[in-house]
Amino acid sequence: MALSLWKKCLNHLESELSAQQFNTWIRPLHAVETESAIRILAPNRFVLDWVNERFLEQISQILNRYNEAPEALSISFEIGTKRSQDNLVERPRIPDKIEKKQENRFSPRSAGIDINHVSSLQPGFTFEAFVEGKSNQLARAAAAQVAENPGGAYNPLYIYGGSGLGKTHLMHAIGNSIIANNPKSRVVYIHSERFVGDMVRGLQHNAINDFKRYYRSVDALLIDDIQFFAGKERSQEEFFHTFNALLEGQKQVIMTCDRYPKEVGGLEERLKSRFGWGLTAAIEPPELETSVAILISKAAQSRVELAHEVAFFIAKRIRSNVRELEGAIRRVIATSRFTGQEITVDFTKEALKDLLALQDKLVTIENIQKTVADYYKIRVADLLSKRRSRSVARPRQVAMALSKELTSHSLPEIGDAFGGRDHTTVLHGCRKVKELKESDLRINEDYANLLRTLTT
Amino acid sequence: MTKQLPLGIRLRDHATFDNFFIADNRQLVVTLQQAAAFEGGDTAALYIWGGAGSGKSHLLQAACHRATVADEFAGYLPLRDHKMFTPELLEGMESLALVCLDDIEAIAGQREWEEAIFHLYNRMQRNGTQLIVAANAAPQGVALSLADLVTRLGWGLVFQLNELNDEQKLLALQARAEAIGMQMNNDVARYLFSRARRDMHSLFSLLEALDHATLVAQRRLTIPFLKAFLARDQVTSD
Repeated sequence: MALSLWKKCLNHLESELSAQQFNTWIRPLHAVETESAIRILAPNRFVLDWVNERFLEQISQILNRYNEAPEALSISFEIGTKRSQDNLVERPRIPDKIEKKQENRFSPRSAGIDINHVSSLQPGFTFEAFVEGKSNQLARAAAAQVAENPGGAYNPLYIYGGSGLGKTHLMHAIGNSIIANNPKSRVVYIHSERFVGDMVRGLQHNAINDFKRYYRSVDALLIDDIQFFAGKERSQEEFFHTFNALLEGQKQVIMTCDRYPKEVGGLEERLKSRFGWGLTAAIEPPELETSVAILISKAAQSRVELAHEVAFFIAKRIRSNVRELEGAIRRVIATSRFTGQEITVDFTKEALKDLLALQDKLVTIENIQKTVADYYKIRVADLLSKRRSRSVARPRQVAMALSKELTSHSLPEIGDAFGGRDHTTVLHGCRKVKELKESDLRINEDYANLLRTLTT
Repeated sequence: MTKQLPLGIRLRDHATFDNFFIADNRQLVVTLQQAAAFEGGDTAALYIWGGAGSGKSHLLQAACHRATVADEFAGYLPLRDHKMFTPELLEGMESLALVCLDDIEAIAGQREWEEAIFHLYNRMQRNGTQLIVAANAAPQGVALSLADLVTRLGWGLVFQLNELNDEQKLLALQARAEAIGMQMNNDVARYLFSRARRDMHSLFSLLEALDHATLVAQRRLTIPFLKAFLARDQVTSD
C-alpha cells in the first residue's frame, strides 16, 4: 500500500528535526486526509501554537512537495484527537475538545430519567475485593451501611485519609453495590477535577443548566478528592447547590478527601460544615497484618500464591500506603515471570531493590577523599600532597581507584583532583589496587568497607 | 587549503530499542518494548529511574518510536524544559496511546505542574493510555510535594536503569561508532576511555565531534589524530 501523504511527510520530518523535536511536537499530531485536503490535529492549544510557530511552514512545504494530485492541497490545523475522529471514546462524555459539537451527555432537554447517566464505576472495586483490617474497618462498615440504605441516615458519607489507602475503592464498592441491589439506580462517580472541568465547559457552551440537571438528577453522587475544589470558588458554589439539592431529595452523596472536613484549606466554611453533617469516617495506613493480607490477596488476583514470609518481608519495608504495596507486589510478580524464578525472600529482596533504594548517593571525588582519609586516619591534605610513604600512598591509590569506579570523571580529571597528578599515575594506582585486592585480604576488606560507606 | 565540509544532511540516528545498549537492563527494556507496542494487556504506568547518562531519554524516545510503528500516537514531554512550557501542554494528552514524561524531578515542588500531571494520570487511567515516567530517583526519592502523585507513580512497575560499567561503556561506545559508520578499533577506544569523561553523554557527544572532525579532515580515526583532537579540544574548552 502506498504511504499516505502524512506518513511521507513524517518520514521526511524525522530526518530533518532533532529526535526530541520530532518526539515532542510531531509524533502527537494526527492527520485526517482526503484527496485534496489534509486536516492536522494537535492534542491541545499549546502544541497547536508551538507547532504553528515553528514547524507548520516546513510541514506545508513538505506536504505540497509530495502532493501528486492535480489540485492544490488544502491544509488546516486545529485542536482535535484521533479518538474524537474515530468516535472511539468508550463512554459518552462531554468532549474535552471544545469545538467539536457532538451530542454530549448533557444534551437531553428534559430533566430526570431521560438523561443518560454514566456511572464510571470500576467493576473490580467491590466490597469483596476490599481487604479489611483495623485501619479501615470503621470506614468499611459505614460504607456497607450506605450501600444497603442509600440516601438514609448516613448522608453525606465523607471518607478521608492519606493517599493510596483505599478511599476510592470503598466509594466504588458502594456504587457497585447500590447498582447490584437496584440496577435502575442512577449512580455517578466523578473526580472533583472533572466536575470542575465539566462545569467550565458547561459555562463556555451555555449549557450550565444541562450540567445542573445532570448532576441533580442522580440517585447517588460519588465525588472523589474534594480537596481539589480548594480555591475554585465558582465550582464550590455550584457543588454547594448540587449538594443541597441532592440531600433535600434524599439522594446519597459520598465524598472522599485527604483530610478531615474542617482541615481542608481553600474551602468555604459553609461547605466544610455541611460536609460534616452526615457520617465522617477515616482510613488509616494499614497495620502490618492488614498489609500482609493485602499482598496475599493482590498476588492471588494474579494467580500467585504468596508465601507468608515473603508478604511479611514486603509489608515490613513498605508501611506507608496500599498503592505502594501493590506496586511492590506487581514488580515481584513481573520479575518472577520474566526470570522464571520462584518468589522467595531473597528473590524479593533483589526484585525490590529498585523500589526500595531511594536515591543513589551523589558520590564526588571530594567525598571519596574525605571518607578515605577518615578511614585511614590521615588528612585529606596528605592524599593531595607529594608524600610517597606507604602510609599515604596506599590510601591515595585506594581513593583513586574508588574515584574511577564511582564517578564518571576522566583519569586526567581524577589526577588533577589528587594534587595535579598525571593520568598515568591514576591508571597505575588503579591497577595496583586491583592487584592488591586479590593478594592482600586487608586491602580487599578496606576497599569493600569504603565502597559500602560511600554507596549506602 | 580549505577544509572539506561534511555533507549538509546526514541521516540522523534516532533513538530506537535496536540502538540501545541493553547490558544489565533486559527486563526493563523488554517491559518497555511490550508497553510501547501495546502488547501484554497490562497498562500500568512504568517508572524508570537512573543517573544522568544512563539512557532514560533514549528509552523514552525509543518507546515513542515503537508506538508509531504500532500505528499509534505518542508524545515525549521533556519536563527539564518545563520553563518554556505551561502545564497546558498536558491537556488532551490522554487522547494519545502513549505519553512519556521525562525528568519528572524537574517540576518537583511546583504545585501547578504536579497537579496537572496528577490529573493527566487520572485521565490516562480512565482512557487506558500507557504512561512511562523517567526520573533521577525512585518515586519516594523525588521531592514531589503532592502525595497523591507520589503514590500513583509507585503503583505501577518501578525499575532502576542500571548504569553501565567501564567495560560495557567501552562496548557501547564502539557499537555506537559502528552505527554511525565510524571505525574505532580497541586501541583507539581504550585511549579515548582513559582520557575523556566516562559518562555516556560526554562519550557520545565526543564521538559525534570526532565523527565531524574526521570527516572534515578526511582522516581515519587513529591515536595520533585523537591525541591532536583532544589537545585542541582542551585548548578550546580552557
